[in-house]
Amino acid sequence: MGNVSGGTYGLTILSPIIEDDRLDICHSMELRWYLSQLPRDYRSPFAQLSSTYLARLVVMDDVVFVGHPACQEHLKSRYLIFETNFDGDLDTYLRRMATETQEFVNAVWKHCVGFPGTADPGAFIGYMKKCQIETTFFFADVNDRTVEATLDALKTQSALAHFMEKHQGMPAAWLQREFGEFLEKLRQAPALRRGGEESRDIPQEKRRHD
Amino acid sequence: MTNLNGKAYAMNAITPMKPWKTPLLKLLFWILGAVKPLQKDLKNLSFIHFARWVCVGRNSFPRLSDEQPAEELKYDYLIFFSNFNGTWNQYIDAFSAVLYHGLDAIWIWSEKYPGSRPVTEFKRYISLVQFDTDYYYNVYPHSATNDVKAALRVQDALAKFARTSQSLSVGEFGRAWLEFQVTVAPDLGTTGIAPVGT
Repeated sequence: MGNVSGGTYGLTILSPIIEDDRLDICHSMELRWYLSQLPRDYRSPFAQLSSTYLARLVVMDDVVFVGHPACQEHLKSRYLIFETNFDGDLDTYLRRMATETQEFVNAVWKHCVGFPGTADPGAFIGYMKKCQIETTFFFADVNDRTVEATLDALKTQSALAHFMEKHQGMPAAWLQREFGEFLEKLRQAPALRRGGEESRDIPQEKRRHD
Repeated sequence: MTNLNGKAYAMNAITPMKPWKTPLLKLLFWILGAVKPLQKDLKNLSFIHFARWVCVGRNSFPRLSDEQPAEELKYDYLIFFSNFNGTWNQYIDAFSAVLYHGLDAIWIWSEKYPGSRPVTEFKRYISLVQFDTDYYYNVYPHSATNDVKAALRVQDALAKFARTSQSLSVGEFGRAWLEFQVTVAPDLGTTGIAPVGT
């Protein structure tokens, strides 16, 4: 199946956006405004959906005209593209969307045709599957680890680098004792925050270099 | 527009295809999926977290209500999504330099595709068919693909060392530690905020 690579699922959704000429601000504009305000770090709704690696939402206004002699044609609806890469199976992921990030899901998909809401997760799953487009070819560079395992590895890498730097040239007996303590501390250390810290929004000249 | 999140760039591109070409492209992708060595260059570039190509038939755009007008399209569409590290120019240059055979095999079916070489025409075409991302989330914004792969190697090496070094004497531990350091040192580069790209 094209949607799956190893343990990673690549979901592609095209949801038609409601067109209503009577509105002062159209649905697609309202949607774009909402998305522009949505946090992209650890406060993101996708950080709550803990199995998400990378996800994007895109308002597609129209198809592209590449020039003559190709034909020029236009879509009759705008579409919200939801592209996400996660570990696990589709139904669990969509159910978690409906139950753990209702506010976000409702705020986004209320602008889309036929959205049933999230009160009935089964109906939401059915709706998303109607909007799903099968991925023709999916490439995942790392596809045999979960998000949790990957974040754990990044935490380990950083901690080990600091440990080695701090213990350069230490006597072996001391090192052996310290290494045991290091492993214990590493086990107890909190996981990396999904989506990262706010600090990446700090202008480069004001960033802390550690 | 928010194509960037940390070290990752979200690219979207859509190109029209004559419908009779779509099955041929799907066959090509099937072969690419089935014959893993054909993905070697894509993997070796090692700066793409995830990428996908999606063929959307001219009658396959979801229609969820009678009030939603039915699409009347002549073309099928190939949509490309990529999550890569580095700048747009680096990405397109690398594609053109290393993956030109594969790219041409995929996009030659799209209308007016100029080929991936020379790169100037290729970049002009990609600029034309690309559209921006409105929201982009990245679980590890400070880490590039290589950082992730390096971290996984470190994790595995540390687990093995922790297991095998438990019963060593002090002298043996010292020697084993040195060997371990040499093994993991290439994978201990620090992660952090991306440099400002151009």
